[in-house]
Amino acid sequence: MSDGRTIRPGVRRLFHLGVHRDDVAAEETRDEIAIHLAERAAQLEARGMSAEAARAEALRRFGPVEPAQRLLVRAAQSRERRLGWRDRLDALRQDLRYAWRTTAAEPGFAAVVVVVIALGVGANAATFGILDKLVLRGPDHVEMPQQLGRVYATMDVPGRGPFTGSSFGYVCYAALRQRTSAFAGVGAHTRPGEVTLGSADEAEQVLQADATWDLFPTLGVRAVRGRFFGPAEDRPGAAARVVVIGDRLWRQRFGADPGVLGQSIVLDGISYTVIGVAPAGFTGAELRRVDAWLPMSLRGPRVAEDWQTTLYAQWLRIVVRRRPGVSPARASVEATAAIRPLFAGSDDQLATSDVTVRPLGFDGAGEEAMEARVARWLDAVALVVLLIACANVANMLLARAVRRRREVAVRVALGVSGARLVRLLLAQSVVLAVLGGAAALAVVPFASRLLRATLLPDVEWSSMAVDARTFAVALGLTLATGLVTGLTPAVLARRRDLLEALRTGVREGGGRSSSLRTLLTIAQAAFSVVLLVAAGLFLQSLRQAQSVDLGVEPERILMVHARWPRTAAGSAAPGTSTRDRSQAFYTQALARAQTLPWVESAAIAVGTPFNTAFTVELAVPGWPELPRLPGGGPYIQAVTPRYFETVGLRRLRGRDFGPADRAGSAPVAIVNETMAATLWPRRDPLGACLTIGDPATKPPCATVVGVVEDAHRDSLEEPRAMQYYVPLGHEQGFGGSVLLVRPRGVAQAMIEPMQRVMRSVDPGALWVDVATLQESLDPEIRPWRLGATLVGVCGGLALLIAAVGLYSLVAHAVASRAHELSVRVALGAKRRDVFWLVLRRGLGLAAVGLAGGVVLALVVGPRIGDLLFHTSPRDPRVFACVVGALLATAALASLLPARRAMTVDPAAVLRDE
Amino acid sequence: MTAIPLMKGTLDLLLLKALTWTPMHGVELTTWLEQRSGGELSFDDSGIYQALYRMEERGLISAEWGVSDHNRRARYYKITAKGRTHLEAETQQLVRYGELVTGILTAPTKARA
Repeated sequence: MSDGRTIRPGVRRLFHLGVHRDDVAAEETRDEIAIHLAERAAQLEARGMSAEAARAEALRRFGPVEPAQRLLVRAAQSRERRLGWRDRLDALRQDLRYAWRTTAAEPGFAAVVVVVIALGVGANAATFGILDKLVLRGPDHVEMPQQLGRVYATMDVPGRGPFTGSSFGYVCYAALRQRTSAFAGVGAHTRPGEVTLGSADEAEQVLQADATWDLFPTLGVRAVRGRFFGPAEDRPGAAARVVVIGDRLWRQRFGADPGVLGQSIVLDGISYTVIGVAPAGFTGAELRRVDAWLPMSLRGPRVAEDWQTTLYAQWLRIVVRRRPGVSPARASVEATAAIRPLFAGSDDQLATSDVTVRPLGFDGAGEEAMEARVARWLDAVALVVLLIACANVANMLLARAVRRRREVAVRVALGVSGARLVRLLLAQSVVLAVLGGAAALAVVPFASRLLRATLLPDVEWSSMAVDARTFAVALGLTLATGLVTGLTPAVLARRRDLLEALRTGVREGGGRSSSLRTLLTIAQAAFSVVLLVAAGLFLQSLRQAQSVDLGVEPERILMVHARWPRTAAGSAAPGTSTRDRSQAFYTQALARAQTLPWVESAAIAVGTPFNTAFTVELAVPGWPELPRLPGGGPYIQAVTPRYFETVGLRRLRGRDFGPADRAGSAPVAIVNETMAATLWPRRDPLGACLTIGDPATKPPCATVVGVVEDAHRDSLEEPRAMQYYVPLGHEQGFGGSVLLVRPRGVAQAMIEPMQRVMRSVDPGALWVDVATLQESLDPEIRPWRLGATLVGVCGGLALLIAAVGLYSLVAHAVASRAHELSVRVALGAKRRDVFWLVLRRGLGLAAVGLAGGVVLALVVGPRIGDLLFHTSPRDPRVFACVVGALLATAALASLLPARRAMTVDPAAVLRDE
Repeated sequence: MTAIPLMKGTLDLLLLKALTWTPMHGVELTTWLEQRSGGELSFDDSGIYQALYRMEERGLISAEWGVSDHNRRARYYKITAKGRTHLEAETQQLVRYGELVTGILTAPTKARA
């Protein structure tokens, strides 16, 4: 542009817009008119007119000034308003085009930045989805979840301390419905359990739950086809055999047939009429999938004959919707007042319990679920990753700004304003961030699907991996990233600095920006350390959890159990009742298993670790009342010979049960260590007597014939309890067999062949299930696995990003100090010294970051203490590993630039200058 | 001889034409128009500014404050790419229109029967 007057007009206008825009336009118009008149008069005067006459003539030629001026001012104001917008849009389009051009001009640089942003945004989008479901939003299709709550009772169990539970009887549900006014709705449900759908080859296991009819209106859900059952179908004593099926079952089993209503499905051998299809993703008040909803009144009679009134059966969970304005505290008071009187005079703890209403997201014990707490932390972790990514990208943009400062300085010299320069830089970072966000969104669906399926398989996720909320969060984070990463270099690219830069040339480090870059790099290293420490702590917890001596070896054992069509007691011919078939099946199955060459040993058990535990009345001579241990019990199991061998329990004294110990034989028992030490501390337990069962029936003495080590019953961490075993066939008052098999080799791999063998034992069985005992334990270990995997991945990403940042910083330092290094070499410095000089700088930066990160981790660490398992938040091994990993990474990142510095050719560099 | 009043719409084209030479301020434009027409066109100077403002709003010209030859502040107008296209199209149309109308009006009158 040769003409100095032709600088783009919009640029200036853009910055004095704002509130005074109209005033400015008016003033300028008046100026322009005044100037015109003066200039015109001067012109006429030059042609020989008197000053007076020239002025009058100029006015005459202009026309009537007052009305013309008014008209022109109005025209100018309208023009400025219109042009203001056009200019702004124009400028934006131009900025974006410029940003895109510069981005495309350096594809390698752009790719690195985009990947880094994608990692940061992606990690957040994926974890937000989990957090949203577990903590923020709750179950799908539930209206106004903040009004909903689950009912809990906190009771003081003697010897065990306070205990909070969420299981209630039907009486409690009825009382809450009838005797309270705080609730707009009360509903009850059971937790989903497996039932067999169909039979024979077509059979499959589905998840079924029971619900009172009012659960659905309480939650505020509507069926997508047909309807949920109503009070008429859920009437106690006259319940209808109807079922509402879940969306997944409807699609998979019925091919989404709209004519499914009125058809029948068979669950556990009983036929039900389909009256409705629940919306996709509806899981009731919890998060686990439900394939079939049955009326509670069908379930009740199977629990107890007097299920509506009994105080002694607790099998359902209660959901309430508080009326608007009712606080959880008031709801709790009313609920307590409704439930306590039911139990007055009984010895039940509920007579004195505090009943509370807590959020739906809490677990069975009234605490925020472990997964939810882990998810919270994961989100924090993902944010830290994003912070690191931002620091990194800001760093790279800064480096580029410094690299291109001659170009920028030339622009400034040409008159580009500072504000416009800032906008250009911002446009660049926003373009990069948007590309990064788009890349993240492309990957997140896969990542989060994988995450969900492997880490929280029991939760029914909505089908979309990236829903609107996740998308909004990702978009917000993307734009924030663009602004933050753009502003840092933009603020630094201020006019004066840049002119300074132009004057000093490229060689100098550019003081302020380089110290900021150093700071950003150190911050990245520090944050990475924190994440790696967290990952290490979770990993250590996972290892601790996996190495707990449970007594039994759940990962080595397969559990086989079978189902038959349900038959009403006494209605079937002898030998065909479920109980008889079950007994015959397990006897044959045990015999078959023992003949298999790849089976080490097998046994039948009633009562299985991590699955079922039983207690019956027990008396021991010499103890008027048995001591109560914190773990509860004593627990009883009935087992066949070689049970202990099969599950991996060592026998400490005495003998195992033998083939002679069978139904009807002389009563014998085997006790665990804790029981032996508690009941007979100073004498030999062998030969002692246990009176098992109701004392009124005067049961005979069961002689203790052996002692085995303790076994965990329920979870990883539990107080010791007394356990004892009787031969299978001697169980009285409890039942339900399973077959336990210890295969040679990896149990997991034997599931398929075992299933085939077991199917052939009884082709009439509805379903034969084979699973490792470990599966029952997995939910316990999941939080640590979740933490170790996700925080580990995030920590790895963070380390990688920090390494890239460190590399680029050191490489940049080497490039900009090439002159100095060359002088050093020319003056006789050894190349090895140059190498160490550079390496020292990289390692020095890493060490400072490391120190900061370690301090931060030591301070923050204890806050995740309650998420860890047998691991100190300041575990020195973890810290040592992290320090090692970070230093090794830093060394690697500095090695390349250091080698390049070593091979620098002083002659070439100095000639270039 | 009295000056001819400007026909509506033609002022815009004349101003655009003037600006194709070089960016000018209002007085320069007024003088240019006077000289080119030999003083035969009559118009108010304020009309020039109304036309300029209107065209600026339409994006046919752009304006910027600068310094005039007499070292005075002045608002300089410059034709935009859009303005050039507009000028070309309108000029063609106007010329054709002129020829057509001229052709009709100057045709020999039909002898009266």
